[in-house]
Amino acid sequence: MKKTVLAAAALSLALSLGGCSSGLTILSNYRRIENIELVRTVAADKEADGVNVAVCGTAGEESSARMYENTGKSLGAALGELALLPLGRDAVLSHTENMLIGEELARERLGECLDYIERFSEMRLDTGILIVRDGTARDLLHGLTGEDTPAPDVIAGLSRNIARVGDGYFFTCREIASSLADNGCALVQCVRAQKEEKLFEARGDLNIAPAGFAVVREGGGLDFLSDEETLGAMLLLRKYKSRIVDLPLPEGALTVSVDSAAASIRPRFERDGALDRVEIRLELEANVISVSGEADLEDRTVREAAEAELSRLFRRAAESAVARSQALGLDYLDLESIIHRREPLKAAPALKNWADTFPGLPVEVEAESTLQRTYDIVDPPEDAKEGEDPWEKMIRLLRGS
Amino acid sequence: MGKNDTVTERQLTVLIFVSLLSPMIRILPSSSVALAGRAAWLSPLAALPAGAALAAFTRFARKNAPEGVGLQDMAQLSLGPVGGRLFGVLFALWLTFYGGFVARSAAERLLATVYPNGSVTVFIVVMFLVALITASGKTKTLSRTAEVLMPVLILVIAVVLLSAIPDVTAEFLLPVTYRDAGKVLYGAAPIFNVLSAFVYFLFLTGHVRRPRGERPRRVNWLALLVATAFGVTFFTLGTLGDKLSVTMENAFFMVIRNLRVLGIVERVEAVVVAVWVVTDFIFLAAILMIVSEIWRTVTGVRRRGAFVPPSAALSCAAAFLITKNAFTLQAWSDFIVPCVNLFAAVILVPAVMGIGKLRRKY
Repeated sequence: MKKTVLAAAALSLALSLGGCSSGLTILSNYRRIENIELVRTVAADKEADGVNVAVCGTAGEESSARMYENTGKSLGAALGELALLPLGRDAVLSHTENMLIGEELARERLGECLDYIERFSEMRLDTGILIVRDGTARDLLHGLTGEDTPAPDVIAGLSRNIARVGDGYFFTCREIASSLADNGCALVQCVRAQKEEKLFEARGDLNIAPAGFAVVREGGGLDFLSDEETLGAMLLLRKYKSRIVDLPLPEGALTVSVDSAAASIRPRFERDGALDRVEIRLELEANVISVSGEADLEDRTVREAAEAELSRLFRRAAESAVARSQALGLDYLDLESIIHRREPLKAAPALKNWADTFPGLPVEVEAESTLQRTYDIVDPPEDAKEGEDPWEKMIRLLRGS
Repeated sequence: MGKNDTVTERQLTVLIFVSLLSPMIRILPSSSVALAGRAAWLSPLAALPAGAALAAFTRFARKNAPEGVGLQDMAQLSLGPVGGRLFGVLFALWLTFYGGFVARSAAERLLATVYPNGSVTVFIVVMFLVALITASGKTKTLSRTAEVLMPVLILVIAVVLLSAIPDVTAEFLLPVTYRDAGKVLYGAAPIFNVLSAFVYFLFLTGHVRRPRGERPRRVNWLALLVATAFGVTFFTLGTLGDKLSVTMENAFFMVIRNLRVLGIVERVEAVVVAVWVVTDFIFLAAILMIVSEIWRTVTGVRRRGAFVPPSAALSCAAAFLITKNAFTLQAWSDFIVPCVNLFAAVILVPAVMGIGKLRRKY
């Protein structure tokens, strides 16, 4: 009897785990699935006396995007009060993929946005953070959304492909917060709205385009990197995947895909142990994806000219990234950590005054490129000669003349 | 104690392992990283020799103790009836308070990680009611529960840690040089502190029955705990870095928030947190059991069941009164509880056991 009573008592306690009532329950955030609105993208902008948020998500099995807006004194308040809007559904932030932050808000309150994501258990640390330049995040979110193109899908597409074309990298909240904690500064991907001709009616009015990296500082502040500096930063931070580059040659031009770029960073010390300089070596591997003009790839000198040009472009990118970082006095390229890792004992004295040493530290960059392959076509078909009829050209090629 | 309320050596060691996972996750990796920086992932390994030495000493001290004798009996033999009882009362009071602290910490963790708008009150009350029912039962039942849960816990920990591999950045973990040796040892202190809590379970050794002529089968709880601590610290540090990790109270659960198991299942933190709640519950029930066991020996009463409800009530009251908010709870967790635990587990108990050994009482 005693055992039965105890078992019944224990089981009755399990009722409190159900969360099916608003009374005695541990589960405070139980929601019915048909009432859930899964937010995928949050756009946040500075308002005169607070923060405006626009969220875009999907509900149930509906594929079309739904958007809601709210304003609050803080990001937390604006998002928290979404529940008070006549949504008819509960906005759930657990699957938020990206947060777009307007330039003004990022300049003053990026830390607050990161803090909210870290603190609020519903959100993920791997939420991508994007700063919207030359416009508001809300307008971009609205403009991207069309009948067949939910904004989160468009942004997810950019996220998948941005590194592949070498235009940037979506840093996550975790990476940014970690860099801010380690270096007092961090890089964030920027995007901007692009007005384009609508090729089909069901798409949104705007497109989204990468706009380089921004440098954010602990405590506020924002600087923007040029495209070249952004490429250099990607190379040195090992966020680089691939990039398509046009190489002008004396006769014609090559388009290559630079599919590998390994950056090796080494500190060099003087005899007395002082840090003398940092050497950066880039090793690039490229594949020819198209040839125009008279460029003869079987000619070694042509290939060497292309390789030299490629090396020059990437070396300049790395140099400009380092120079900008030193000019700002912000080590967002993590050189201190790399030097420490390379020479933990030798570098320790030099790294003690890193903030003073870093801006004036000589950094030498060299790059070496190799054209790896042309994808089986060594001698490409010639282009039509000036004024030549395309049919005549085809006949000429077929005859092998 | 009842003759049929016996456990094997293996069951007791499993109970120790499952129970100590609860305080382990409360302090790791933040406490260790705050002291050792990026070298903190080596600290669990550095804590192993000290933990092993303490375990070896206690095993040596009770080597010749007769079967059915627990730590409280040994204390009364070592210090005499008055001194031994005073020792027992002090420990019972400390563990009653410690039980409240464990429950409150578990409740705060649950709210911080999964149920931000939940109620601490409901969680604590439910926790104590379940622990009360379990602690009123046999030691064997609790040990068997831990034994059944251990493979589940190990599986969850293994899956979680393996899933975290893609997020680990070598830069957050290296370099570590001989100059970091001091930091690594500092970082080992909080881990050793948790490991040393195993001595509380010596109060239950009176229930252990050794099969005649056979070597006792044990689970190497120390190696398992150190391996878990290593995994938790290594993956959290490797994912967040040392400076970001120390800003978080539950950095490990932050990492879990991001996990995708095999790339298909995500948002698994509720399951992992729930698994850790099970360890909290086992630990709390074990503490109530230990407290009642101490009172039983001190008072000389035959059954310990009567002592469980008042102990649970006092402990529950401590859980509510210890602090009004999570801020001061952190202060308890960072300083007061570790200090008292260190004194009780590393100084007081070995001293009492050593005195008994020197006086050839067992």
